[in-house]
Amino acid sequence: MATESPAVPSGPAAPSFPIARHAFRRFYTNYTARTVLQAIVTIWAVITFTFFLIRLMPGNPVEVYVDFLVNQQNMTYDEAYSRAASQFRFDPNVSLVTQYVEYMGQLLRGDLGLSITSSGTRVIDQIARFLPWTIFSVGLGLLISFTLGVILGTIMAYKRNTAIDHALSFLASVLSAVPNYIWGLFIILVLGVQLNLFSVGGLRGNYDPSLQPGFTLEFIGSVLKHAFLPVLIYVIGSIGGWMLNMRNSTVSTLGEDYVNVARARGLTSSRILLAYVGRNAALPMFTLLAINIGFIIGGSVIIEELFVYKGIGSFLFWSITQRDYTSMQGVFLIITISVVVSNLLADLLYSRLDPRVRVSGGK
Amino acid sequence: MTDIILQVQNVSIIYRSPRGDVRATNNVSLTLRKGETIALIGESGSGKTTLSLSFIRMLPNSARVTQGTILYTRDGVTRNVLELSDDEIRRFRWSDCAMVFQGAQNAFNPVLKIRNQFADTAAAHGYRDKAWVKKRTLDLFKLVRLDPQRVFDAYPHELSGGMRQRTLLALGVMLDPQVVILDEPTTALDILTQRAIIDVLKAMQQALHFSIIFISHDLALAAEMADRVATMYAGEIVEEGPVDEMFYRPLHPYTLGLIRSIPKLNHEQDHLVSIPGEPPNLITPPSGCKFHPRCQFATEKCRVDPPTLVEYEPGHLAACWHTDKVIEARPAAVVQG
Repeated sequence: MATESPAVPSGPAAPSFPIARHAFRRFYTNYTARTVLQAIVTIWAVITFTFFLIRLMPGNPVEVYVDFLVNQQNMTYDEAYSRAASQFRFDPNVSLVTQYVEYMGQLLRGDLGLSITSSGTRVIDQIARFLPWTIFSVGLGLLISFTLGVILGTIMAYKRNTAIDHALSFLASVLSAVPNYIWGLFIILVLGVQLNLFSVGGLRGNYDPSLQPGFTLEFIGSVLKHAFLPVLIYVIGSIGGWMLNMRNSTVSTLGEDYVNVARARGLTSSRILLAYVGRNAALPMFTLLAINIGFIIGGSVIIEELFVYKGIGSFLFWSITQRDYTSMQGVFLIITISVVVSNLLADLLYSRLDPRVRVSGGK
Repeated sequence: MTDIILQVQNVSIIYRSPRGDVRATNNVSLTLRKGETIALIGESGSGKTTLSLSFIRMLPNSARVTQGTILYTRDGVTRNVLELSDDEIRRFRWSDCAMVFQGAQNAFNPVLKIRNQFADTAAAHGYRDKAWVKKRTLDLFKLVRLDPQRVFDAYPHELSGGMRQRTLLALGVMLDPQVVILDEPTTALDILTQRAIIDVLKAMQQALHFSIIFISHDLALAAEMADRVATMYAGEIVEEGPVDEMFYRPLHPYTLGLIRSIPKLNHEQDHLVSIPGEPPNLITPPSGCKFHPRCQFATEKCRVDPPTLVEYEPGHLAACWHTDKVIEARPAAVVQG
């Protein structure tokens, strides 16, 4: 790595510029440095893009609130406007560029700013309040559907072209063909409202509000009970994809020479299943899993709204209806960072799991 | 005879296919002695690989052995491979009979280091002594002329094609099998690497005294490696004999045709003759001698009456009604040494 490139001019001509270029190339060929640089550029681009995009949406926080006051509380427009303007830290007359520069300045200092519509509340606190619930529910759902999907997919591949395979393939296709919010509606309307199998109202929120949060059995039970339906929907909505992906990946791995040779070597079938077939077939699954982690937040918006689950998704939904720009920006920033980080994670994980793509340090 | 280690008797194998049963091998018998190398030659689809897969019961699910026995003898104990239990056949594979498949380039699990793949092979056969396994592995690497330390800790993708093939050969003999089946061990390798592999193989056989079943399209290679040669055509052994007999004094027109179709560097190109026609359809094979549609000597008898293997010279058998015509037709020396 440290060998001098013969292309670097050593003569007196062309003094400083090639050196700078050389330094840049060395920096850019450094894997870590390049990855971090790319991540930063991506995050900046998304922040900028969403900053202008959400401000292009019709209406602004003041107008939305004015509308609300005029329609709901029968105020005159001027009254409502002065109330809104005094209540919100937002002046629609400041130019976009000024707002942008101010916001970026804040971000660089690590400050997500204050919520526009809930005056005095910091956006970071709102996120800290809602995000853990989403990570908990979507993460749990992802974990369950991934594990089950990989196991069922492997079974399907081993039993390929049998009745079990056909039945599970059909099930997986149906599950993945219907969007998860349709399943959500189905469960609420049919199982909850029509058949009255559970109380729809009783499952609102993240836990029973009469309980004191803490590590008590009762509280944890309540948390699990309230998370059950959203988690179930996340599992139903994504398990089909995992099953079909894993099935195909395993079927093609089973056809590999090294699996055949492993059988000829007299290895036990459990060893072949785990270290030869499973390990190789699951490689692309782990990349998909890492990428999916990035979509935890984005994927939760409709489901959390549907089940009145107070996570970051329903917070984002609420911020959008209120045109709370800073809150929206905050959530978008978190989404962007989690997607970028999970892609990094996928890269890293893949290079851990597959020696062929491992970035060699030494040798 | 006591030194017989593998005795294949009247083995027939069919593949079920939507268009009917494919008779991949038909009534094949073969005897392998200790330390001996037998080469199976013949065109693609003649049943060479199918036959040898049946020795370790690795036939695909669509295949079935319809008759015959495969007797394997070690330390005075003879067992029928076809009647071993699942666990017995698993242990039989590799420790008694190792098969190095065609296309060894993907024979290793890409995510495991070479050392682990040697270790798990040993572990699967009950070798628990890690120090012994390591020493054995390194010794074998030396035997196949690989840099032991470098290969030991490498991943498969870090090795070249020739190195992988040698590593696979080392793995093949790790558990001291009596029989090593080599299915086209040098395909996909360049000519110099092929040479090196053949030299390594000979050195290994000298050191470890295993028997080899060598499957090849490459007659020159077969001539160099083998003690005896068996020609397969349409799922049957049509001629079998000592290597010199087979190449200098063939008795079956198909063997003669194979030998004639080898390009010779020191001869004019017009000596090169191909065998007319194509290998027969094994769902509805030709009547009588299966080779008769392509045979220049075929008569009415060949069309009706299937010939059986007859011993013409000591140890030299052929299934042909017209060996006399083949003897007339063969050139003085058909293969240069």
